[in-house]
Amino acid sequence: MEALQTHQLTKTYGKKIVVDSVDLHIPEGTIFGFLGKNGAGKSTFINMVTGLIKPSSGSFEVLGQPEKRLESIQKEIGVLPDYSTFYDDLTAYHHLNYFQKLVKQSLSKQDIIHVLTQVGLEDAVHVKVKKYSFGMKKKLGIAQSIIHQPKLLFLDEPTSGVDANAVLNIHALIKEIAAQGTTILLTSHNLNEVEKLCDEIAIMNKGSIQTQGTMKQLREQYQQDIVIHIHHRSLSEKEQVHLQTSFTELVEKIQIEETSSEIIVASKEYIPHVNKQFVRQDIDVFRLEVEEPSLEEIFLNLE
Amino acid sequence: MFTVAFREFKSLFTSIRSGLIIAVLFGVTVGAARLVRQFEAPLQDLGLGQDAYVMGLMLLLILAAPLFVTSLSHNIVNKEMDTRTIRFLATKTSRNHIILGKFIGSFLFWAVCLTVALLLIIPFSKSFSILNLIQAIIFVSYFIGLTLFLSTVIPKPSLSMFLGIIISVALPVLGLWSTGTDNLFVKAIGYITPYFYYIQEETHSYYAYFVVLFPVLFIVLSLFIFRKRDL
Repeated sequence: MEALQTHQLTKTYGKKIVVDSVDLHIPEGTIFGFLGKNGAGKSTFINMVTGLIKPSSGSFEVLGQPEKRLESIQKEIGVLPDYSTFYDDLTAYHHLNYFQKLVKQSLSKQDIIHVLTQVGLEDAVHVKVKKYSFGMKKKLGIAQSIIHQPKLLFLDEPTSGVDANAVLNIHALIKEIAAQGTTILLTSHNLNEVEKLCDEIAIMNKGSIQTQGTMKQLREQYQQDIVIHIHHRSLSEKEQVHLQTSFTELVEKIQIEETSSEIIVASKEYIPHVNKQFVRQDIDVFRLEVEEPSLEEIFLNLE
Repeated sequence: MFTVAFREFKSLFTSIRSGLIIAVLFGVTVGAARLVRQFEAPLQDLGLGQDAYVMGLMLLLILAAPLFVTSLSHNIVNKEMDTRTIRFLATKTSRNHIILGKFIGSFLFWAVCLTVALLLIIPFSKSFSILNLIQAIIFVSYFIGLTLFLSTVIPKPSLSMFLGIIISVALPVLGLWSTGTDNLFVKAIGYITPYFYYIQEETHSYYAYFVVLFPVLFIVLSLFIFRKRDL
């Protein structure tokens, strides 16, 4: 079953189209990354599918339920909104206690403290939120989104403004939650984070989904040339010339040096052939690396 | 719904403003009762009897209830929209429960305050009128409903406070004026204030209970608007 499906989901403010006819399908049990620049429409999209704002047109289903039944499955959804503020007069513990009661949970004090420990707030459980830093509030935001062990979790920029150590902890926590079967939709500016955590990715630009797929699919889709780095034994000048001429028909570009070579081919089908040429000419290959485009390169390609 | 209501109820009791209002409410009630006791005999002659003890409280409510309720609850909904804490609530419970919870929390706060105020009069009046209490609560619930509605319609707390204060001053003036004028416009406005019904109460004892319809209407309108609102 799909955890989230949208059909031509659109949000406009006056004449401005913020989310434009988005069709998205997120399978259950995946960590889905939602990438895009500021103002691309990611948060508006999340706010729509979590019921915070009303779509201008289109429809969506969350965990198989249509929009009008969204309130009946709130217990199964966790949301970290893009901008999190809390009640200044409450402590982290009181916040989670209040929120868990709203979803009709009955967690013990130990359970609540356990969740706060998971996000790294174990030293600030009974500190009023007005004394929290931005990063601490972000952690509390994550804690409130997972307090009821949701089946579907929306995390809007979960690590922005959080220190490096905490980022690693949050990544580990996201993986742990996903391992328990929770579907996660994650938005981020951090391409490395998305690449590291997500099974599937959608890139949004100016309100539209520009591309969607697994990292492998995106690489294949956006890989124009494949760069092969080969580290080999030292070659004589004669061997270098011979090697150069043997590749002319196959490669886009070749650069042979004494102990390493860089060969650019148009398709990955040519990679075994490149390897065979070295073997045929009795050249010992120590390492062969195929350079794949990073998410950043794919992202930049879409600009 | 009751989780939201309890939080609202508790937060009203812990704020400084509500502490001041409770002090004024209780102070004026007890002060008025002491004053009434000094003029007990002439008031009995006028037929006011035991009701005179409650008059101080009712007079205070008639004149100041709009201001009291507005000052405490003008931002009952829009504060959470302004700070965006509403997003945590709206993703965890239904929008209807948020609005109803907010109303119930505020209603209970005033019900408790008015009950305690009337209890404080008992040593003077030697009686407790449940009907007076119900009428006082209905009167205040009109303004609780109104502030809830204003706070739902107006997204900015500063604006709802400004408008709330203007309405708090204008409503008693127009409401009381409407009972003694032939001006059709003012009379028409009088029908939508609780004052008209409470003044009629002297001749038609059930009129005050019609006022219950107004908070119901305000709640329904608030629910309707809040369900459609982007948060």
